[in-house]
Amino acid sequence: MTFNFPRYILRETGHSMKRNPWLSIASVLTVMVSLVILGFSIFFLANASNVAQSFESQLEIAAFVKDDATAVQVQTLQSQIQGMTGVASVTIVTKQQALADFGKNMGGSQSNLVTDLGGTNPFPDKLTIKATNPQDVENLAAAISALPEIDTVRYGQGYVDKLLQFTKWLRWIGFGVVGAFSVASVVLISINVKMNVFSKRREIQIMKLVGASNGFIRWPFLIEGLTLGLLGGGLAALVVGMGYNWITMYIQSTLTFLPVVRNVVLFRQVLGGLLLAGMAMGAVGSGVSLQKFLHS
Amino acid sequence: MIQLRNVSKIYPNGARALVDVNLKIDKGEFVFLVGPSGAGKSTLIKLFYRDETPTRGQVQINGKNLVRMKEREVPYLRRSIGVIFQDFKLLPNKTVQENVAFALEVIGVSRKEVRARTSNMLELVGLAGKENAFPNELSGGEQQRVCVARAIINNPALLIADEPTGNLDPETAWGIMDLLFNINKRGTTIVMATHARAIVNKMQKRVIAIENGRVARDEEMGGYGYDV
Ligand SMILES: Nc1ncnc2c1ncn2[C@@H]1O[C@H](COP(=O)(O)OP(=O)(O)OP(=O)(O)O)[C@@H](O)[C@H]1O
Ligand SMILES: [Mg+2]
Repeated sequence: MTFNFPRYILRETGHSMKRNPWLSIASVLTVMVSLVILGFSIFFLANASNVAQSFESQLEIAAFVKDDATAVQVQTLQSQIQGMTGVASVTIVTKQQALADFGKNMGGSQSNLVTDLGGTNPFPDKLTIKATNPQDVENLAAAISALPEIDTVRYGQGYVDKLLQFTKWLRWIGFGVVGAFSVASVVLISINVKMNVFSKRREIQIMKLVGASNGFIRWPFLIEGLTLGLLGGGLAALVVGMGYNWITMYIQSTLTFLPVVRNVVLFRQVLGGLLLAGMAMGAVGSGVSLQKFLHS
Repeated sequence: MIQLRNVSKIYPNGARALVDVNLKIDKGEFVFLVGPSGAGKSTLIKLFYRDETPTRGQVQINGKNLVRMKEREVPYLRRSIGVIFQDFKLLPNKTVQENVAFALEVIGVSRKEVRARTSNMLELVGLAGKENAFPNELSGGEQQRVCVARAIINNPALLIADEPTGNLDPETAWGIMDLLFNINKRGTTIVMATHARAIVNKMQKRVIAIENGRVARDEEMGGYGYDV
């Protein structure tokens, strides 16, 4: 580069930002808001699928034995189910145990509880089956519920389905919201750049008369858009990065059973992506407004 | 150097600024454009650096057809032409030195060279000491001289001057004319629109008179005419 072009660009960009500080701030903030939502959505989705997976891997089937089965029959059932393919373990929770657990949870004494419940134990015998493979759970559950001694079968598939369903919805809503904010960001940046182009139209005309090419004139405006986008992206990365860090630490210390994603690679990718997305918004925004103007 | 064939210019508002103008100016010539206000001198000049395009007819500069010229070639045309604008057209937020330097910056001259050539040029037009002033801090004549400096700093093959002495006292005006005369002697073609009778009569150069958008008179070693 012959004369100091970078310095020229920086100077021009600085000038124009000083001229319209509020519009610049508004542009930066909308970029930031849209990217903060994007960032948190990505992390939320990553966590949701992580939770869904860990639920799936812990899948258990609860099979309730019919009321008239004897203890021997229950034991036979246990070994019968144990023999099925894909079964990792089968444990028996007798009705007495179930009642005791229930009583413990309620904090009362056992003898009182039975009389309170009308003299009979309402709990059935239960078999807790662990599958080796999450995919097998559904078929296993069907096979077990087909056994004559089994009354009902319950397993977590429903919850996982619901969670996945929810993440699917969230994904679409997230796309929608992020999309709307991105459009708003691009529009604001383009208004920003357009206003600066407009306020400098006389200068631009003079520059052209003295022989400046469109490219030469365009650069400061393009850099201005990129800077606004990058600032928004940078702020968003900061907010998302610190926010996510804080939230996951909080969850880890309070809701210890919830698995959270703390993946450094993903973290960096998302934050870097936010910066790039901000720059892209800036480039599109200024590109849109320069496209029309300079061809006159 | 410059050739116009059957050129007419009608502005969008309907003003007929030029009517069927034919003109040929050779390399190295010094030409005065005279004529009453509103005759079409500035319009004619604007065709040369493609600020305006003719409604009809052809304009050729240095063998290039400006009517068929592509938009992206225009900057290169303008870099080979220096223009002293009737209304100066200085960049308001740039200092005197930055304004003059700008003509060199757009063609990518190094910063060191820009600085050296700019300060030389400002000295030449008598603006030494005003380098860091902004245009609105200058008198009309001083602004005009900034414009002159910017127009001639990159040694254009063609120099177009639209009333370059309009705001100058006679002495400074003659200083500028000496400058233009010297530049012309070095081979630069000069076309100058002016109302300065004394200058035209004294210089004894080719005079083209425009009236109502037509070439009314074209004589070698002419005078200003319109004598009272
Ligand atoms: N941009 C424009 N739009 C419409 N009409 C214009 C425009 N520029 C000039 N004109 C008209 O064209 C005619 C010629 O104007 P021009 O500026 O060429 O005159 P001129 O000879 O340079 O006058 P002066 O000596 O006062 O500078 C005038 O009638 C003017 O009103
Ligand atoms: Mg004029």
